[in-house]
Amino acid sequence: MPGIDVAVRQILIIILGLIAIYAALDLFWLRKQTHKSLYRSRALNVLIVLSILTMIVISARLFTLPIIIQILLLNTIDLSILILATTAVVLIFKTSVTTNFAQGMMATFGAFFAASVVMKLIDNGSTNMTLILFAGLFAGIVISFLLGLFIDVMIIRKGKNVNSVGKQMITMGLVMVIMGIIPVIFGSNPIVLPAFSVDVKIFNIGDYPMVIPVQNLYAIAITVIVLAALFIALRFTKWGLGVRATASSETIASMMGVNTHVITAMSWAIAGGLGAIAAFFYASMGTQVQVASMVPVQVNAFMAAVLGSFGSFGGSIIGAILINVFSSIAPYYNGTWQLVIVYGIILLIVLAKPLGLFGKKIAKKV
Amino acid sequence: MLKLKNVLANFKKQFLSISKHPYFGFIVLGLIFLFALFLRNMGLLTISVINTFTLVMIYSVVAMGFSLLLGFGGLASLGTAGLVGLGSFIMGYFHGIGGMSFGMTIVISIIIALAVGLLVGFISLRIEGMYLAIITLGLGEMLRQFFISYDTFTGGFTGTSLRSFKIFGKLFESGNDNYFNTVYIIVIICFILAMVATINIIKSPTGRALLSMKNSESAAQSMGISIIKYRLLAFILSSVFAVLGGVLYILHTKFSYPPQWNLSYSLDILAAVIVGGAQSIYGIIIGVFLIFGLKVSVLNYIPFFSNNPALIVIFNGVLIVLVVMFYPGGLIRLLQTSWFKLKIKLAKIKMKWRTYRYGKDDE
Repeated sequence: MPGIDVAVRQILIIILGLIAIYAALDLFWLRKQTHKSLYRSRALNVLIVLSILTMIVISARLFTLPIIIQILLLNTIDLSILILATTAVVLIFKTSVTTNFAQGMMATFGAFFAASVVMKLIDNGSTNMTLILFAGLFAGIVISFLLGLFIDVMIIRKGKNVNSVGKQMITMGLVMVIMGIIPVIFGSNPIVLPAFSVDVKIFNIGDYPMVIPVQNLYAIAITVIVLAALFIALRFTKWGLGVRATASSETIASMMGVNTHVITAMSWAIAGGLGAIAAFFYASMGTQVQVASMVPVQVNAFMAAVLGSFGSFGGSIIGAILINVFSSIAPYYNGTWQLVIVYGIILLIVLAKPLGLFGKKIAKKV
Repeated sequence: MLKLKNVLANFKKQFLSISKHPYFGFIVLGLIFLFALFLRNMGLLTISVINTFTLVMIYSVVAMGFSLLLGFGGLASLGTAGLVGLGSFIMGYFHGIGGMSFGMTIVISIIIALAVGLLVGFISLRIEGMYLAIITLGLGEMLRQFFISYDTFTGGFTGTSLRSFKIFGKLFESGNDNYFNTVYIIVIICFILAMVATINIIKSPTGRALLSMKNSESAAQSMGISIIKYRLLAFILSSVFAVLGGVLYILHTKFSYPPQWNLSYSLDILAAVIVGGAQSIYGIIIGVFLIFGLKVSVLNYIPFFSNNPALIVIFNGVLIVLVVMFYPGGLIRLLQTSWFKLKIKLAKIKMKWRTYRYGKDDE
């Protein structure tokens, strides 16, 4: 097979070493403990963290640390997009217990709207580009927000005893519907969406000069502000309490007086808004909005949610960061097989921890 | 005269008893498809309709394997596209480029399908539910990347094409009617065989065990059903069906290129199974026809749709949404219930006519 080189061999050695260590631990220590499962999960956590650290150390030796930091800095825009998309997926999973395949399409719809608003404003003779783009972004967020609200209130909720696979199917149907509607409304050509700025900022870490595009800074700033607002809302508002209650059990939450309909509708709407921001930045990376552009982001977001666990927002964000780190370093090892390497690593981690890195096992009643 | 009547009655009785057999419907369906080929050769049907029929049959084979997994095993998988692609590339590489015999290629493809099915089955023992669906989605993406990168096997972005194939010592070159007809008949035979295999699995203890596993794993385990065995079996069966579907696909379309085996293909298969009805063979065929075949064979002839191609996509999407929202058992359940209601209505009308004809019964 072509392309098996240093990286793959190193990864294989690390994995085999981990398995050997785990087997040794299991033989000599774990079996003698009384609370076996507790210690086992702790041992696995420690081993996984160790392996990730080893990989980073090995790659740091291969490229030197400043280069890795530079690579990660250049990929911060991907990271913010992925984090936004993952948060949106997890938000919907928490309240509706389904993976939303239409997430990417809702987002693309918002980005299309944003791009067309931007085009209109430029045609009307506005000159302040930053202001125009912010206006477009805001318009996109609003339209995706409304779209999410509409989907939950008019479609997902009206279904007759639909289970979670059924909801998945509905979102799949919605992908097709939105995919068909976009060319009808916005025309069949991709729309140009300019970036906030094409400049780069140069600064020093120690003796090494670092380069970061200004667009990335905008993306990071907006992501941090939005996510901070979201987490504050989740932690301190009544809606956040409702989300957490609905996540643990929808029936019991509604019996306790939580208006679960409002909670789920708001979650869908906010997920739409988050997706719109992600799609906006993703589009500005490739300078134009396309119908199918969000599909890889969506797949990565699902993988991140699985890696971190669907149950926790923090966990899924860490999953997104890990995926971003893996997939930004992997191409420098081996360009053609990067996806296989990244997904292979995720698969192995998930095999070791089936509920994700931060998932909690919920006892099922038989 | 009396004798003839007796013979006729006997014949009718025998026919009725035969028509109750599940294979009867399959063979009739196969004959209908064969009849379509005759119509095409007479010039009454266009070639695109026959192409659609072939694709519907091939995808039905894939979807039947998938329904064993989803409708009976209750295990969601989104890696179908990768497996179908694998089958097509195995055929293209070993038979088309390597010159291996047809039967040997099928054996190799089944062995590879077994291996992949075992692998995914072992993964499914540890990961469950939505997590499994997404991990299999990742596996599908990995397979696609593998197809794109490993270009000695698949031809990279340009893909593999199959110019000719050899079966029972006869060589069939692509591009003429002989090739087309042979492939069509092979596909029909495989389609019927797949249906027979599926119904035998469903009605056998294996199918019952799968169904019980879907409804409650703990209950199934307590009745002595080995979860490991049946999960692995479900994945192996579905991957064998998918890989064979891929082999048929490359025979029919004569090419296969890696980027085509993406997530949306897996989702289409999933949609076909759900829309038609995951637990009924006819339901699956209806679903596959709605998702893959409706566009080419029906909607293109309606001017409203053929003028606005975007509307076809919207139509498909709305159809999926409506069916899932209001008929969770799939379209076949709708047909069954409406047939049942019609029967009751007919019985009532018959009763009314009888009271009109012969008068009311005395109390």
